[in-house]
Parts: sequence; structure tokens; C-alpha cells
Amino acid sequence: MEHKLNVSDLEPPEPMERILLAIETLNAGDYLYVTHRREPRMIYPMLENMGIAWVTRPSGSEGYEIFIWRKDDNAAKAAIPA
Amino acid sequence: MQASRSSLSLEQAPPLSVPLRFFVTAPIFGLLAALLLIIYGPEILTNRWAPATLALTHLITLGFLGMIMCGAMMQMLPVLAGSPVPKVKPVATAVHTLLTIGILALASGFLSGITGLFHLALTTLGLGFLIFIIAISIALMRIRTPNDTIHSMRLAIASLATTVMLGLTIGAGFSGMTSLSQLIPLTDIHLGWGILGWIGLLVVGVAYQVVPMFQLTPEYPKKLTTPLSWVIFSTLIIWAPLYLAWGNGHLSKWVPDSWILLPAIGYILFAGTTLWLQQKRRRRVSDVTLLFWRTGMIFIAACLLLWLIGFTPITKAQPIFSLLLGIWLLFGVAVSVVNGMLYKIVPFLTWFHLQNRQVALMSMGKVKVPNMKELMPDRLTRRQLYAHLTTLLLLTLALFWPYPLAHIAGLSLGVSCSLLLFNLLQAARRYSQVNQELSDFETSR
Repeated sequence: MEHKLNVSDLEPPEPMERILLAIETLNAGDYLYVTHRREPRMIYPMLENMGIAWVTRPSGSEGYEIFIWRKDDNAAKAAIPA
Repeated sequence: MQASRSSLSLEQAPPLSVPLRFFVTAPIFGLLAALLLIIYGPEILTNRWAPATLALTHLITLGFLGMIMCGAMMQMLPVLAGSPVPKVKPVATAVHTLLTIGILALASGFLSGITGLFHLALTTLGLGFLIFIIAISIALMRIRTPNDTIHSMRLAIASLATTVMLGLTIGAGFSGMTSLSQLIPLTDIHLGWGILGWIGLLVVGVAYQVVPMFQLTPEYPKKLTTPLSWVIFSTLIIWAPLYLAWGNGHLSKWVPDSWILLPAIGYILFAGTTLWLQQKRRRRVSDVTLLFWRTGMIFIAACLLLWLIGFTPITKAQPIFSLLLGIWLLFGVAVSVVNGMLYKIVPFLTWFHLQNRQVALMSMGKVKVPNMKELMPDRLTRRQLYAHLTTLLLLTLALFWPYPLAHIAGLSLGVSCSLLLFNLLQAARRYSQVNQELSDFETSR
């Protein structure tokens, strides 16, 4: 299941705070779909430490889209659009 | 784009104590400057060459602005560019200690006229800045794909090196170590490189990153950011020999004075663009840092206007214009922008260090990490903003009515710096508390 989160209008570090909170709500098979005006590079090491995987893609002029899921959750990984 | 890009992070950044020691020292030097203003009053605001005026100027430029800018650069290079400063802990300790001793010795040297204090100041400041410039230059040169921020930072460091060398030369002449025939032109060139080069270029470079990031504005246009720093830097390179030629009597003063308008116009374009971007920000919430920055940008325009008025025959001979320009450039532009920036940098870094540790310990839900507003509450920062604006107004009026306003401006500066120090210490105290809670959680597992 996809959980949408738009953090484009938030001031740092609110996007990171929201993403970290949203991760805690992920169930098996779920992934987070985040839209952000900037690439949230500072959160990557935290995600790594938490055993979380992610893919970041540029999303036109709007910024970036980031897919986030638990590393061991293959169902969530498979559900992410190519 | 995947996990491999994670190298650009605060993980490479130094511990919080590295930048924080510089940030906390800055308002203490501001307090010393305020004390001078309270004690010496009108004397400081009537002649730029008065010993107390020179002491106060250096307490603000080196003690307040320099300290914050040095600390911020050590912190920002790994975060913004993924290039940590080599041996950052010993470098920070050496730079902070040497600069602190040097600034105190320089200010006391100006006030007392004791030659030994100048010698101590020249040695410690020279060595402190040498270590800082080498360490930062190594980090800057290691960056393979520099953006416009990095270009500006490189030029800012080159400007700092020029400012310091000129300062040491003037200091050696001032203390009688060497004979100096061109004290006035060299001092003005030293000032020009310090304000328009080192401070200005660093502010410009940092703004490219932090204004869009923290104030939710669109990005600065590339057609401005790509040439701006280079144009400012190269015009300064040409301006310095023109000014010296005037000092030698080979050139009329209007030539270097007109030339310096070129970098000034560059800064006006920067200020105008920043104000325009702030108008287009995504979330139109009033914010203390935004107000500090707006003050700074408006004062850039005011300084150019003042500079132009200073050209007219009626005002040319009035020393009040150069003093007012100095006050507006230092307090109106530089202190406003740097002070405002601290209110984003400090709570952000504090939050990030705590959050990083919380994630590493997997203590989410057990220990609460305060958010930025809790670490640096608006009511406290807004109070200091008002104190800063009052100081600016009083300093300006004190030029026209030195007694008793100079003393009162000193009191106001003291209040502003005390509030800034209090706010920074509050964030540091909160950091220690939560960090201790995280340590307790770690031991209890």
C-alpha cells in the first residue's frame, strides 16, 4: 500500500521529522511516497541506520519523489512503480 | 539516485562543540564592544581613528563576525559540499584559542598603546588565520564539482587572506615594527577586502544555499549566481592598486571611488534578488531570520545611497558620512545577516545531532527530541531582533547627538548581545539535557 506524503512546503528539518514519523507507521507491504522540492540528502544516513531502503527520482520542475520502504520488505519493494 | 549519494551528510560533520564554541564566543566579544561604547561614548563615534573606535571595530569584525563565520565554515563544508575540514577538532581548538587571544590583545593594544600587546596580537591572529585558511583551502580544493556557493567561498577565503595580510602589515606599521608611509589608503583597502570581499562573498555564497532551503524561496537565478562573485572579486583586485595610486598622488580620488561602485552594484543586485525571492516564498509565514535578512538587504541599498550622497560637494568633507557608512555596513548589513543565520544554523544542527543519535540508538518514542522551535523559541529570538533594531537606530542617531545617545546605544548593544548569548546557551543547555537522556537510555538497554 502506498502512503503519500508531500513535504514541499515545509521548512527544514520538518520534512525529515515527518518522514521519520511516517516510517514508523509502515506495515508489511507498505511503502512511503514522498514529494519534496529538494533532494533530502541529510536523511539518507539515518535511513541507512534504520534499515530503510529508498529510491530518489527527479520529478520534473516540481523537485523530487522519494520511495521509502523497509529493506527486508520485498513485497513493498515490488509494489514501487518502475 | 540511491544510497550511494549518502556521503553528503552531517555524518562527516564535526561534533557540535566545534562550531558552537565559535558561536558562543561571538556575543561575548559583542558585549566587550558594548562595554567600550558605554565607557567611551561619544569619543568612539566622532573619529574613526580614535583608539577606542579601532578597538570596537575589531571586536565586531573579528570578535563577533569573524568568530561566527569561521565556525560556520567548518560546519558547512562537510554538510553543503561533502568535504570535511581536515583535522577539524585540533584545527578548531587552535584557531579558536589563537583568535580569542589575538582579538583581546589587539583591542587592549589599541586602548593602551602598549607595543607588546600589538606584537602578541599580530603573532596570534596571523597564526590563527594561517591555520584556518590552510585547513579551509584544503577542504575547498578537494571538491571536484564546485557549485556557485563553493566558488564564492573560495573567493571569500582568498579575500580573507588578503585582508589578514594587509591587517598584519598595517599592524606592524602601527606598532612601530616597520615604517608605513600609506597608512590611510592601506587601511581603506584592508576594510574594502574585509567587508566587500571576505564578509560579502561568504554571505552571498551561503545565501545561495540557505535562503531557498530555509526561507522556502525559489532558487537564485543562475545568470546572477554564476558571474556575481567573480565580478565582485575581480573589481576588488583592480580597485586596490587604483586606490594606492591615489595614495601616492598619481591619480585623482574619483577614479578608485567610482570603480568601487561596480562591486557595490553587484551587491545591490544580490540584495534586490534576495528581497524579490523572499516575496515569492512558498509559505508566507513571518520568521525572525527572514526579518534579520530583510534588514541586512535593505541596509545594502541604504549604504549605496549613502555612498552616493557622500560624493556631493556639501557632504564630501563631513567625517560623519564615513562613520555612518561604517555603522550601517557592519551593524546594518553584516551583523543582521550573520545574527539571523545563527538562528537557523544552531537549532538545526542541535536537532540534527540529537536526531541522528536517536536513530542510531533506535530510541524513537522513548526519548523526545525537541524540534527547532522548541530549541530556539520565536519569542526569544524576536526579542533579540527588536534589541538589535533598537541598537541600529540608536547608533545612527548617536552620530548626530553623540551625548548621551552613544552611551545608550552601548547599553542597547549590550542588551542585544546578552539576549543572543542567552538564546544560544539555552539551545546548548537543551542539547545537553536531551543528549544525557539519550545516554541514560543507552546504558539502560
